[in-house]
Amino acid sequence: MSATADVIVVGAGVLGAAAAYRIARAGHRVRVFDRSAPGREGSGTTAGNLHVQAVHTRRPGQAVPLDSARFLPLQRAASDLWAGLEEELETSVELRRGGGFTVAETPGQCRELHDKHRWEADAGIKTEVLDGDAARAALPLLGPTVAAASWCELDGYANPLKVTPAYLAAAIRYGAEVTPFAPVRGITRDAGIWRVTAGAHTVEAPVVIDVAGPWLGEVAALAGIRLRMTPVAIQMHATVRVPPVMSHLVQHIGEGLSVKQVTAGNVLIGGGWPARTLDLAGRSATSTASLLGNVALAVRILPFLTRLRLLRAWAGPLAATPDEMPLIGEVPGAPGFLVAGGTYAFTFGPLWGETLRRLAEGAPPPVDISDLGPERLLT
Amino acid sequence: MIVERDVLVVGGGPAGLTAALRLAQAGLTVTVLDEQAELGGQYYRRPAPEVAALWGDHRPEGRRLVERVRAAGVECRTGHLVWGVADDGRTLLAADPAGRPVRLRGRHLLLATGAYERAIPFPGWQLPGVTTPGFAQHLAAADHTPIGDRVVLAGSGPFLLPVACTLLALGVRVAGIAEAGTPYRAGLRALGAVRHPARLRELAGYGARLARARVPIWQGTVVLRADGGDRVSAVTLAATARPAVPVRTVEVDALCVGYGFRPQTDLVRLLGCAVRADAATGDAVPVTDPAGRTSREDVHVAGEAAGIGGVHLATARGRAAADDILARLTGRPAPRPARRIRRLARFAALTEALYPSPADLLATLLPALPEHTMACRCEAVTAGEVRAVAAGPAAGDLNATKAWTRAGMGPCQGRACGFAVAGLVREAAPAPAAATPVFPARTPVRPVEIATLLDLAAEDAGTDGPA
Repeated sequence: MSATADVIVVGAGVLGAAAAYRIARAGHRVRVFDRSAPGREGSGTTAGNLHVQAVHTRRPGQAVPLDSARFLPLQRAASDLWAGLEEELETSVELRRGGGFTVAETPGQCRELHDKHRWEADAGIKTEVLDGDAARAALPLLGPTVAAASWCELDGYANPLKVTPAYLAAAIRYGAEVTPFAPVRGITRDAGIWRVTAGAHTVEAPVVIDVAGPWLGEVAALAGIRLRMTPVAIQMHATVRVPPVMSHLVQHIGEGLSVKQVTAGNVLIGGGWPARTLDLAGRSATSTASLLGNVALAVRILPFLTRLRLLRAWAGPLAATPDEMPLIGEVPGAPGFLVAGGTYAFTFGPLWGETLRRLAEGAPPPVDISDLGPERLLT
Repeated sequence: MIVERDVLVVGGGPAGLTAALRLAQAGLTVTVLDEQAELGGQYYRRPAPEVAALWGDHRPEGRRLVERVRAAGVECRTGHLVWGVADDGRTLLAADPAGRPVRLRGRHLLLATGAYERAIPFPGWQLPGVTTPGFAQHLAAADHTPIGDRVVLAGSGPFLLPVACTLLALGVRVAGIAEAGTPYRAGLRALGAVRHPARLRELAGYGARLARARVPIWQGTVVLRADGGDRVSAVTLAATARPAVPVRTVEVDALCVGYGFRPQTDLVRLLGCAVRADAATGDAVPVTDPAGRTSREDVHVAGEAAGIGGVHLATARGRAAADDILARLTGRPAPRPARRIRRLARFAALTEALYPSPADLLATLLPALPEHTMACRCEAVTAGEVRAVAAGPAAGDLNATKAWTRAGMGPCQGRACGFAVAGLVREAAPAPAAATPVFPARTPVRPVEIATLLDLAAEDAGTDGPA
């Protein structure tokens, strides 16, 4: 005999945890499965940035630029939800809104900063473009090659190693049941009810949410749904702990770079540089070439980093889509089968959690997602 | 700059030096890298020149070996930290003593990276004055400096005895040795009667010296806690079987605790060589054949990195690895290495069997560990936090526990706490089948200057041609 639930969530990453929390809080019975420990893949290896100003359009090696103007209304909505998150989850997730700079070095990149500033204004996001000297006056750590920088006071950071556990703990408080180390083996549908077999468990529910990150496509395929996903692995780098030196997020408009100092004191250097391997069976291996490239870029923009020591590099998967745009919505022809993934899922976590709740309830989403659904990726 | 050699040897201890000498004498180009300022490794650690002039050399056979290695034309790169592997999977990345990057390629690699000491936490182990026995030995050998005036040694294994003798020779008052097991039940002198094993005779010799100095050996005894203000001032001991019940308190100004050694396998793992989890220790041990060949054709492991066994086994393994590498690179047939190594490995196992296995010790000691004990000293994570996360959201997964508590994330990369944190996780929750038993190896192997990386990136962008 199978157990039943109102909603089955496949994947206990940040999206699954946020959705489980929102849905359980609304009074529904939620069952969460994860193939291993919760939050250990992309949600645990991500940089933890809260991107409110427009993001740079390409990771190193990324084939297609994303439409960063399209992101902005979503970022704004996510930003509002992040603001109340710690209070809502009744715990610290080391949320810090220290503001952020996106720097430009070339004339072309400076023009991009101004273009982006106009889109941000249209989306109601307050930013300011500074010339190089003004940027260095605001953040003296910036190096001499910085020709301009845009400033957004809402950019920030939250510790990804705290966010997913906090969401899960809150979901559990509202009655959600979380089962780790239970890989989903089968998904069938009968008389409008989904039946999910995960590890030794079988559960039936009218709604299934596939938020399995790099395994999103594989899980959908179990239900007979063919989605074109293009998971990649990217890597991060951390220095040893140092006393507080920088409270801002620093990014680059034209190259893969994000730098900030986290609560523990380590400076985290990222920017979506590709790992050496994408290993979905184990741990993806870091690339030394990416490490050197990312660190060299970081030092060019923030020369003080050259005095620090690098402590660690790690890699993790990114549930990318072929067009680099977010994926969220119900699969056509599979009523009750919802998917969510794509890049910048950490920033969008609270927003996609709420969106998935509304979709699960058959209510309209809080933001326009009509162009972000799975239709475009069906094969 | 790219250094190209027939063989690169990482680690200039007994195994690495023995192998390098043999390989160079056979006409191969060989570079030995070691992160220390002098060759010799831990066992043949060289005294500082001033110390040697005043006090002599505690192990002159080490000096002679280093001299022969240099005379044979081996390039000796001391003060070189090998911190990673390039994306080609074979170029070693190092930093020289000035922090300049060095890239090295060998037709063959021999990893003789040695071991580090096994620690099991106890309340107060973060106090100044609490060290490992190996550190006390190092300080004595290199700098002729005693770790303290009044010292207790504790832990388990044969290594505690020579360290105690070293300290006695420096005039230290060794208040006692707490050995977790009961290896000397028959009396240390009786051990000499056991057939063959030279190491047991050696131990009996140490025992006689300790007896003359009236140093008590408290068998079946472990550290319950250390107390002190700015520095350790007292250690409280308990019976191993009842580790939470205090038996005696001893005033000390230094406390040296160690439970033997663990193979240092970070580079082995970064190079993609297969490792297995040792059931008795939980350690990751390289999978090798008797000559030290790993799952990679072009990588050998020798010495303590291949499995703990002491200096004689390490030396024999170094020689066997050299012979096997020579056979591969020159086509010369390799002598069968197996007999001497098997014999030495049997001796090592015999000695080892006298002491409790690390897994058994963990099972005895960890349940008694108070919640407030620092499990990870770098990141100040308590045993209670590790247990709660492991039993809760991390669901028995070591890496998830690391991620969520920060245990093992500090500068030591989990070398000091990894063994015990893994034990705490296992104790707190049944390990899921998919869980990893040890912390994964990470780049960089040790923290590396960003300035060094920057110079390497500049070189990479400019001059790096195809291999």
